[in-house]
Order: sequence, then structure tokens, then C-alpha cells
Amino acid sequence: MTTLRLVFAFIRRSPLGWAFHVLTLALGVGLTAAIILFGNALDDRFKNDIAGIDLVVGAKGSPVQLITSAIFQADIPTGNIPLETAERLAKNRMVAASAMVLLGDNVKGLRIVGATEGYPAFYGASLARGAWYAAPMEVVLGSAAAETLNLDVGATFVGQHGLTGGGEMHGEFPYRVTGVLNETGTVIDRLVLTVPESVWRIHEHEAKEEAEEKGEAAAAEPRPREVTALLIKYRSAMGAVTLPKLAAEMPDIQAAAPPVEAARLRSLLGTGAALMTWLAIALLAVSGIGFVISLFAAIQQRRRELALLRTIGTTPARLLGIVLLEASLLGLLGGIIGLALGRLLAGAIASAAGAHGGPVLAIAAFGPFDLAVIGAALALSLIAAAGPALSAYRTDPAQILKAAA
Amino acid sequence: MLEIVALQAGYGSAPVARLPELRLEPGAAALLVGGSGSGKTTLMLAIAGLARRFGGHARIGGTDLADLGGGARDRARARMVGFVFQDIHLVAGLTALENVLLAPYAAGVAQDIERARGLLARLGLAGIAGQRAERISRGQAQRVAIARALMLKPRLLLADEPTASLDDQACEAVAGLLLDAAAEANAPLLISTHDSRLKARVALHVQAEAMA
Repeated sequence: MTTLRLVFAFIRRSPLGWAFHVLTLALGVGLTAAIILFGNALDDRFKNDIAGIDLVVGAKGSPVQLITSAIFQADIPTGNIPLETAERLAKNRMVAASAMVLLGDNVKGLRIVGATEGYPAFYGASLARGAWYAAPMEVVLGSAAAETLNLDVGATFVGQHGLTGGGEMHGEFPYRVTGVLNETGTVIDRLVLTVPESVWRIHEHEAKEEAEEKGEAAAAEPRPREVTALLIKYRSAMGAVTLPKLAAEMPDIQAAAPPVEAARLRSLLGTGAALMTWLAIALLAVSGIGFVISLFAAIQQRRRELALLRTIGTTPARLLGIVLLEASLLGLLGGIIGLALGRLLAGAIASAAGAHGGPVLAIAAFGPFDLAVIGAALALSLIAAAGPALSAYRTDPAQILKAAA
Repeated sequence: MLEIVALQAGYGSAPVARLPELRLEPGAAALLVGGSGSGKTTLMLAIAGLARRFGGHARIGGTDLADLGGGARDRARARMVGFVFQDIHLVAGLTALENVLLAPYAAGVAQDIERARGLLARLGLAGIAGQRAERISRGQAQRVAIARALMLKPRLLLADEPTASLDDQACEAVAGLLLDAAAEANAPLLISTHDSRLKARVALHVQAEAMA
């Protein structure tokens, strides 16, 4: 005979009631865990993708859009800026590191990004195999891009106009893969990188063709070269004072700080998350209240048996312990099932987001968070059980036996 | 040995019943009689240290449970007093054997499974040791409760209205079992009852006196 055996005997009496409690607790815990896991994955993604970039300089427009397009590679750009402007800013002595990116084409929905060498450097990208591109029309594939395209070193492919699939094919300008990158856990994994010249070459050729069709003489004169954005890391905090000001003075140029815009983006997304959080809290509250009620009912139902246990010498502390142990078991079970549900849900949302062109999110591996979730479910159950346990503790055998006699 | 002197028992702030005097040698039996509401159950609970004591003594083998503090009193009761009731016998969900083992569990002493099985067998319950309490008949359940009361070799057996709702044959059987159990355990047996059938079996009667 053990306390655990006694608890099982009690639980077995209303299995459906306890199953319902475990279920509501698991749903509440699961939803909460999913929201937190997904939010953390999003935060990690933001942090990894920002990669210490302090300032993005691009064409005028929405600053959030500038960041989502140039950093997260998830939006269309605000436009392009003259190469000359970008080069001048990059040479400023407040700039510790910089990279130019040029967006133009895609292959099967994956962006082909013309980038200077500073770009992979921001993300600490290294080659898994092959070599870095050296000439126009040579590309290096991010790890996920290589997998998606099923291409390796030496393969060739043609890009499509625009940033999503379905654009006009640039059939006469095939790209050649010279290398594949190691996984970085950043945006670069899903990109196809090349030198800016590749993008310029295709688009200058296109402009020329177009002009020739229209019979314009201007076709002979090349347009000034452009880039989409300049990514900057400051040399010191002073950079935050001088560089945005400098950019603001230039015509048709804007500068945006990724951490600031990411926080704004996060708060936009956060509205939905907050709603879900309240829903989860409501579920947990319903679960908790339901547990309090059913536990009180169970104690009432067991009054005579608790009284019997008291008369044969069971201490009140032990009766308290029985109820708390019962609550712990159910809390633990609800917590574990809830965590499993939450992980499934977060994983499903993350992969759905990735499949629809959103950022690829990595849900954190099992760790302290999971233990905290189970611990919280346990704590919630114990708090809910406090009143009923106290009522069991106060079982007065005399009153109950008298009433029965 | 049970010695009761001027015991006054009740709840809250006022005593509800009185038992002037009772001495019971080991193995001897007595009936605690009185009409409904005379406070028989209250007196029984007071002897076991479960109701409030307003005066007098109730010593079991020289120990008055009322003198002990909370936890010690519970453990002493678990070891010294075997209780049998009218209709609350077992904890559902546990087997007959586990219900007998509740006695050492409550007392916090080693659980002698062989002794529990032996007691069930002596009470003719060997076949249902593994059956869950809710599938056992009332008569059998009461016998399991008697086995539990005997489990720790008590120094006092208390039975509260054990025959109140039984037919003559069952009443006879339960009375026999309780008297045999007391003799075998060499413990005094006090039965609270208003059942006239028991009065024929047990000669010594003491009156519970209600207090206004």
C-alpha cells in the first residue's frame, strides 16, 4: 500500500473527468508553448538575419519594407539607389563593414542576390564545397537553396525576371554554380549569391533590347549602375549619429536601422500573437477552474473514505499529500502532452510559414524551456489543488461519521 | 485494558455526552448503549482521540490518546485502536488485501502482507483478497474491515453500530466475529449499539448519557 496506489484508486473512479482535465490543461499549455516557441524562433530569425547590421540605406519608401526586402529577403524592394551614392557612403570612416545587395531575379522562387563580398561576411558564411564566384554569371548557393534546387557545383541554370517564380526567363544568360555554402541558420541559406555585375549585365542587356525594339537612339548610352541597398556596420556608436543624418541629406535616399524596424515588425505580428496568448491564458484559466471544481467535488465524494482513513490513523498531512500528489500527476501528464502538442503546432506553423515564402524558422531544440513548461503546468495544478487539498487536510472524522450514523 | 473515568466528549465549545465509568480487561467485551442522539459515536471518537475531550480519562493500556499531540496521536491510534463501523468499511478502487494493508500504511509501519493474507483467510475471505472493494458484498466488506482492525494487534477494538442494518443471521455472525477477534487479539472490545439482538450476546452494558 502506497500513497501512489491510493491516488490511482481515486483517479480510477472518474477517469473521464481526469482525462478532460488533462486535455484542457494540455490544450492551454500546448497553445502557450507554441506561441512562445514560434515567437522565439521568429526573434532568433530576426536576430540572426540582422547579424549586427546597424543601418540599411536604400531608396525612399517604407523603412519596414526596406528592412524586410534587403535584410529578411521577404518583400519587394523600395527601389534602387545609384551605385555611386552607395560607394561614397561605404567609404565613410564611420563604417566598419559594409555590403551592397542588388535584387533582381529569382530561380524557382529563390532570390538571386547580387552581393559584394561583405554580404556573406556579415553572416559568417563559409564554403561547404567548390569555390567563391569570381566572374559574372557565377553563383554560390546557400545550403537550403542548393537542396531546394537540387543543384551542385558545376551545374548551370537560368534565372527568371522578378523576385518570385513565374517571370520571364533569361534564357540567354545561364548561371553556373561554383560553390555551395555551409548552413548558417540565417537568410543566406535560402539565397543564390552572385556578383552585382551578373544582375547588371542581364538587365542592361534587357534594357538595350527593349530600346532597340522601340528604335530609340538612347539605347547606346548605358544607364548609371544601381544597387538595391547598402548594409552598414558602424565603427563606433558615433556612426549612429552621423551616418543616418548623412543619408537623409541625399536625395531619394532613406536609411533604416534593422533592430528598430524589426521591433516594429515584431509588434505588428505581435497583435495576432497577443490574441492567441489571451486565448491560451483563457484556456489555462478554464482548465484551472475546472480542476478546482472537479477536485473539490472529488474530495466531497471521498469525504467518508477520507474520514475512514483519518480514524484508522492517517495523518491530515498525508491526506493533504494525497491530493497534491494527484494534482501533480495530472499536471505532469497535462504538461507533457501539452508540450508535445505545442511543439507539433509550432513546427507546423513554422513549416507552413516557410512553405508560403515566409522566413524559415527553426523551433528551438528540447531544453530548459521545455522543463519550464512542464514545471509551469505542475505549478498551475498544484495552485488549483491548494484549496481542495486544504479541505482534505481539515477532514473531521467525527463530524462525518456522526452524520452517517 | 481500557479504563474510562468521567469521560465528557463533544465538539466545538460544549460537551454532548458523558460516560461515567468503564473498566474492560483484555479480551472482555462491553456494549455502549443509549438512544439515538445520546452521543454514543461521540464517546467512541473521544476514546480514540478524534472528538474533543471536556473532562475525564480514557486510557488504553495506560495511554490516554488525548494527552498526545496531533501526529503522535494519529500514529498511536493507528497502532493501538482497531475501528469497525456500520457502513463505511473500505476504500473503493483498492483490493481487499490493500484495504487491510491501509492499517500499517496509516501507522507508518512495515506492511506484513503475509499477516494480512492470513487474517483474510481466517475470516473466510482468502478468495477475494485480490478483488476490488466496490465488487465485494457489504457483509464481506465489513469482515475485511475487521481484518484491518486486527492487522496491527490493537490494544482496543471499537465497533460503532456494527449490526445496525443487518438481518438476524448476519448480526449473529458479525457479533461472533467481533467477540472472537477480541478474544484472539486479547484486546478489550467496546461496541456502541442500540441493537437489542446484541444485548443478548454481551452482558456488560454501559449507558451513554446525553448532556444538554
